[in-house]
Amino acid sequence: MNLYIKTYRHLINPSPMIDGKEYLTSVYRSLGIDYPKFFKMDNLSKLGFLASELIFKDDPSRFVPREDLAVIGFNRSASLEADTAYQATIQDNKNYFPSPAAFVYTLPNIVTGEIAIRNKFYGETSFYISEQFDAEQIFRTVNHAFQDKKTRSVLAAWIESFDGTQEVFMMLVETETSEIPFSIKQINKIMNN
Amino acid sequence: MKNFLITGAGIISAIGNNKQETLAALLEQRSGIAPLRYLKTSHTEFPVGEVKLTNEEMRQLLDIPETEVTTRTSLMGMLAVREALRHCGLDPQTPQNVAEMTELRIALISGTTVGGMDKTELYYLDFFEDNTKDAYIATHDCGSSTEMIADYFGIFSLVETISTACSSAANAIMLGAQLIRDGRADVVVAGGSESLTKFHLNGFNSLMILDREPCKPLDAHRAGLNLGEGAAYIVLESEEVFNRRLRVKPAMTPLKPLARLSGYANTCDAFHQTASSSDGEGAYLAMTKALAVANLQPEDIDYINAHGTGTGNNDLSEGIAIQRVFTNGVPPVSSTKSFTGHTTSAAGGLEAVISLLALQHDFIPANLNFSTPMPELSFTPYTACHCGLDPQSPKLHHVLSNSFGFGGNETTLIFSKV
Amino acid sequence: MDELILKLKGEIIEVLNLEDLQPEDIADDAPLFGEGLGLDSIDALELIVLLEKNYGIKLTDPAQGREIFQSIRVLADYIQANRKK
Repeated sequence: MNLYIKTYRHLINPSPMIDGKEYLTSVYRSLGIDYPKFFKMDNLSKLGFLASELIFKDDPSRFVPREDLAVIGFNRSASLEADTAYQATIQDNKNYFPSPAAFVYTLPNIVTGEIAIRNKFYGETSFYISEQFDAEQIFRTVNHAFQDKKTRSVLAAWIESFDGTQEVFMMLVETETSEIPFSIKQINKIMNN
Repeated sequence: MKNFLITGAGIISAIGNNKQETLAALLEQRSGIAPLRYLKTSHTEFPVGEVKLTNEEMRQLLDIPETEVTTRTSLMGMLAVREALRHCGLDPQTPQNVAEMTELRIALISGTTVGGMDKTELYYLDFFEDNTKDAYIATHDCGSSTEMIADYFGIFSLVETISTACSSAANAIMLGAQLIRDGRADVVVAGGSESLTKFHLNGFNSLMILDREPCKPLDAHRAGLNLGEGAAYIVLESEEVFNRRLRVKPAMTPLKPLARLSGYANTCDAFHQTASSSDGEGAYLAMTKALAVANLQPEDIDYINAHGTGTGNNDLSEGIAIQRVFTNGVPPVSSTKSFTGHTTSAAGGLEAVISLLALQHDFIPANLNFSTPMPELSFTPYTACHCGLDPQSPKLHHVLSNSFGFGGNETTLIFSKV
Repeated sequence: MDELILKLKGEIIEVLNLEDLQPEDIADDAPLFGEGLGLDSIDALELIVLLEKNYGIKLTDPAQGREIFQSIRVLADYIQANRKK
């Protein structure tokens, strides 16, 4: 099957000196949207959310429920950053208050859920953990999703937020012909740009 | 759609360390939910479904020296994968299998979310003190527990870890089928493994969804879930590959497929990070789509193994979704989490193997601890258990199993007799 | 009481990450859930943690929260009557 990258976004926190939360808030502000739930999210969800906003903000048929769009995430550190934040709430016996709001983000796939909730995507969502960025794995997994006859679009993303790194590379892959063919070579090329 | 044969299965959970023990517990309606015994935590008020083996005992069963770095998630995974591989005639510890296996592309797809968290909890403070426990830093992440399982057998050419919360193992099985369909693997071992940890026991407690009594799924007075742990895997292969294996090795002839995977679907509830929608839209879509993939009508389903966690929210949402799908009558429904506890990322694997046992032995596992119907639902869960020579024993042809995860991640699998 | 109400508003904004709100944006009698601030079930649980952490009040049943979290004023009254710290 011939697939194409309709559009993509690649966001990276430019400097480890910039606090991840601040960086993400500045991107949110620049979008001029009103979605207070953003501030409740962990950094991983914020990253995925922002990239998806950038991709869909000008889509004229936005917010029309879609069952034919799959959201697939990949990363290396799973939800380690959120895990650490939650662990801090149960670490100290004397100051022991497990935080439900922190706990709900200790799952890497919450980000795919957040994107689906915002945009009303009812299709497949999944999340894969691998040792490092693996264009072949992304290529293969996106292709699998398209074997499902109902799937018309796949929103695929490498989303990593841990230890001073905030990076998201998100692409909207479709069957409709566009300028960028969806291939392992192209995925690597954009990622390394 | 290609015929996905299921030629092997392995399981370890609170109700048994293999299929035979699991089957016996299901038939005798013996729950594995009990007071905490193995996990070290002050939260002893919560009953749990623990695997009744220490890590040391599991290492001995697997001949793994004490010096080797392992986690509870990886040890349980190895035991369940070993049972599944032996079942389908691909155990690498049997020398005559080795040549055959080098020609096959065998994949391991495993779901987990807790990964090596058990060891991190144990040694977290040691990491700062000295370097004696540093080897366990690398075993923390989810991918590493799958890699450890794969390394133990040394036969897997493709290894993947899926982390989609409580639907992880079901999604691993779905991905396994896709790999076979697309010709990227000959044989796939798919399922999940998850150990209990303080981390998620505390987390579920903070969400106030843990029952202090044995859980009562699909009951009006349900008060939450009991956490559990375990691992379970099934072996998937196409008919062509299985028949080819039979031709090459006639000694395998007594082996026959357990069942086939006839339908699968994953959808998103797109409602809330953790709560399910009141109309069960995601669950409805998952069941409907899986039936379409299987080319079956709702009437064809003989038994539903529900996600049925025992929380107020899940059971209502899932129950309503079931009613919406099965408009001409709801088939027998039960939640076997009343036996095993909620094994989170492994649940889809455990419930796949339990569904296969039900199909194979023509019985419907009981829904334990049920007494009061939910006023919102037109059906009540199945509480009897007929099996074997019992003339009341039902004949099962198609079993549907639901697994739903936080993030609105909803998966339905359908298993059918061969 | 007014002091407690103001303090509570600040605490709620902080623990629930209501970034774009100021204490004066929250009316004393406006409902916290549903139409009001648009809080959800996780926020309710987080408020239960806040009650325990800052005021020594332990709720074990989330249903109790529904009564107490009607509005900032109802919440402040409850804290005043039951606080242990």
